[in-house]
Amino acid sequence: MSDPLREEERQLVERAKRDPRQFGALYDRHFQQIYRFVYSRVREQTAAEDVTSEIFMKALKAMPRYQDTGRPFAAWLYQISVNAIADRYRTLRPSSPLEEFHDLSIAGPPLEEQATHRDEIRRIWALVEALPVQQKTALVLKFQEDMKIEDIAIAMGKTPGAVKLLIHRGVSRLRDEAGSLRPAE
Amino acid sequence: MSMQHDPELDDVLQDQELMHLAELLREGRMSDPPLDDAFRSALRRQLMNRAWGMGGGGVPWWRKVFGPAGLAWAGAAAGVILIAAVVIYNATNPSTGGFQLDVSSPMSDQSAVRLQQPILVKFNQPMDHQSTEAAVQITPATTVAYSWDANTLAVLPTSNGLAPNTQYQVTIGPSAKTASGQFLSTPKTITFVTQPPPSPSPSPSPSPSPTPRGMLTDQHLLANVQGGITNVVWSPDSSTVYFIGGKAALEFVPAAGGEITVIVPDGVTSAAVAPAGDQLAYVRSGKIEILTLGQAVTSEVVPTATAVTVGWAKDGVVEWAAADGVYTQSANGPVKLSSLPTTGTVSVISLSPDGTHLAYSQDQTLKVMDVETGDSVALGVPGAQFLGWSPDGTGVMYSGPQAVVTSDVFGKSISTLPTGQPSWSSLDEIILGSDTDLFEVQPDGSALTKLAEGTFQFPAWAPNGTAFTYFRAGALYTATAPPPAPRQSALDAAATVVKAFMDARKAGQLDKAIALLDDNGKKIYAGSNPGLNLLVGGDPSFTRYYLLTQEIAGTQPDTAQFVVRLVFSHDKIDVSSYEETLTLVRTQGSQLFLVDQSVRGPVMTLGKGAEVVSVEVSPGTVKVTFDSDLLPTTVPAGVIILDGKGKQIGTTPVYSSRTVSFNNLDLKPGKTYKLVVLSTVQDVGGNNVAAEYDLSFVGPENSKSGDRHQAPSPWPPGSPSRTTTASPSPAG
Repeated sequence: MSDPLREEERQLVERAKRDPRQFGALYDRHFQQIYRFVYSRVREQTAAEDVTSEIFMKALKAMPRYQDTGRPFAAWLYQISVNAIADRYRTLRPSSPLEEFHDLSIAGPPLEEQATHRDEIRRIWALVEALPVQQKTALVLKFQEDMKIEDIAIAMGKTPGAVKLLIHRGVSRLRDEAGSLRPAE
Repeated sequence: MSMQHDPELDDVLQDQELMHLAELLREGRMSDPPLDDAFRSALRRQLMNRAWGMGGGGVPWWRKVFGPAGLAWAGAAAGVILIAAVVIYNATNPSTGGFQLDVSSPMSDQSAVRLQQPILVKFNQPMDHQSTEAAVQITPATTVAYSWDANTLAVLPTSNGLAPNTQYQVTIGPSAKTASGQFLSTPKTITFVTQPPPSPSPSPSPSPSPTPRGMLTDQHLLANVQGGITNVVWSPDSSTVYFIGGKAALEFVPAAGGEITVIVPDGVTSAAVAPAGDQLAYVRSGKIEILTLGQAVTSEVVPTATAVTVGWAKDGVVEWAAADGVYTQSANGPVKLSSLPTTGTVSVISLSPDGTHLAYSQDQTLKVMDVETGDSVALGVPGAQFLGWSPDGTGVMYSGPQAVVTSDVFGKSISTLPTGQPSWSSLDEIILGSDTDLFEVQPDGSALTKLAEGTFQFPAWAPNGTAFTYFRAGALYTATAPPPAPRQSALDAAATVVKAFMDARKAGQLDKAIALLDDNGKKIYAGSNPGLNLLVGGDPSFTRYYLLTQEIAGTQPDTAQFVVRLVFSHDKIDVSSYEETLTLVRTQGSQLFLVDQSVRGPVMTLGKGAEVVSVEVSPGTVKVTFDSDLLPTTVPAGVIILDGKGKQIGTTPVYSSRTVSFNNLDLKPGKTYKLVVLSTVQDVGGNNVAAEYDLSFVGPENSKSGDRHQAPSPWPPGSPSRTTTASPSPAG
């Protein structure tokens, strides 16, 4: 049985391919996640706005050539995003501390334990920033954007196997790096 | 704490420690980042703006958004480099993190901006003039100059101000920088709509008299005849008053006063002056006698039946009515034009001034008969009394319950006036006499004015529409009334209805819109014409309208034609339009136009090349105004006028200040012509007109009347309608 949401998106995409004026619905649907992804990479609002503008303008222009491969439309947008960010990444420096925008609120455990846990997450994500770009992108798309590996593959222009390898290597590297940071048990 | 399990990672992260790290990463998902909703909306607007412009051949988005090439960015590479430079600068220079350069304009979001004024752009800090001016982009394509006053930039269109009826988008691009070298972070766009073109100068309409309203002048006694006076008739030049006096004598007296002259000493029961004023016909002893005034020669017509009343047709042929019908004189003698009913009690009352209708009563019912067809219509309720005709014979007055009713000769009521003894003037004013006062009112019941107090019985207007006779104490008097106040021309009256009709549709007021449709119009909007809807909504939304042309297309009955452009917007940006050609008709004698016909044109996409925003047609001249500055070399072959057979007419047009003028045209009144703008026409940015544009119009009459021409839109939507008469457009 087909996914109604997926079917709805497919119809939106088809309409936008035929009539670019219908692109507004896709923009409304995906703006937030793309902007969030871009922001997470560039860490500066003005730059995030510029890059997001560029992404959607490129998407609109390329819309007639978009081929539905059965994957979410967002995967294609992320592909454009990854490329747009890559084009600028060397010149962009994250300027905001991680805790400003990573949701570290965790309910339940005692405060002391929460604080320790938060600290651990903060350090892990700080280590992500230091990973090679490809590994970092794969981890962000997987863990932050909650994308499927096949979709990440589309976004990054790689095979699913290559994405799995990037994720494995990235997380393994985090383990290696975190080992030295982890407080003694 | 709960951990999410992702099966996809089972074969990727087979190590428990790696899985734990994955869970930590997922838990630390980023919350929503800071987001400026204005940015989100602006980006969507830019996207939609570009989307509406797509399909035009791969023009880069920033050129679609920011304007024509000649005035836009230096080029794609430069634009990208600049944007990138701004991004890099902002990202690498911490000092720009809190940079807030504010751009505003007093014209922003205005809907009726005057045409003769600069576009003002205000900055909240000193700007680098060169980079800021270079970053200004205007849609539609407009050639401009710049001047500065402190932090305010005045953008001055060089082609005689702003284009009418046009939405402007003025964008300050990100290459604009402050005097201190900081760039504008994102493009800022100011949007506004201009007002319609100025109306032509007022025509020489009747000017108000210096005499205060309500004051009569030149009152004097004309005749004091023993035995009474009946059948007062004015000469066509308003110089002489004929009447039937004591002993049924036919007499006359100069309107200025003087001696009374007896023409026929007795036996006269009805009299009428020929339209040319050279003959006087009267009924004497049941026969018709015609007196040629200049020669004092009388001829006699012997009717087959006893004549009751006499009159004249418009062509100067005498007519009379007898108990059995209406007759006229031919070379072979009397000819019966139509027969009166033979049943019941029939009484002849009066022939209309143009000889086309006869008022009579049948068994207490007042009727009007069409002399040509013999068809009759009843007026009012039984017992209604005939009170008079309109001077042109198209209107009739009769008594209603405590009122005077005006109607057309087809029996359709026009208005109900206060009770009194009425007379209908050639200037379309009705005076109502009585024993106590004298009122003046328009036939539709409007503008009721008290002219004087006193006894004014049985008033009768002179053909000049200002002098009139009346009876007081059994004597005949005359007086001159002040000229009536300037009236709406037929074109203005129709334009007022169009405005009300379009305003009602725009406001979604269906009832008000329907009330301005006649029966035919209701059928058309009810579905007989596909694509026509009274209420138009959705997205893009119907946000404004304006007139492209307006004209009087006919006078029998009064017919006006308007081309109205409906503009549709999305996120405040005009994105499309279509035109409706409305035909309005008003019945004879009525002052109210109603929408009778409507034809819808194709949808036009806006923002893709120059658009026609005003068409002015006057005898010999057609002026076509565009929203953009055009490449003059593309005009002669691209803007043409075709006659009804598709043949191009006129000489090479003249182009100046966005306006293409065709002069010395031989436009035939009432003939249909077509203005064609081909897609080869380019604006100064090199953009072609998106699609061929056609506009049909009718050749105007060469009348000097303000009713007989086409003119620019007389009012901006939402503004009070004009009440003055429009004039012919100045030629050239």
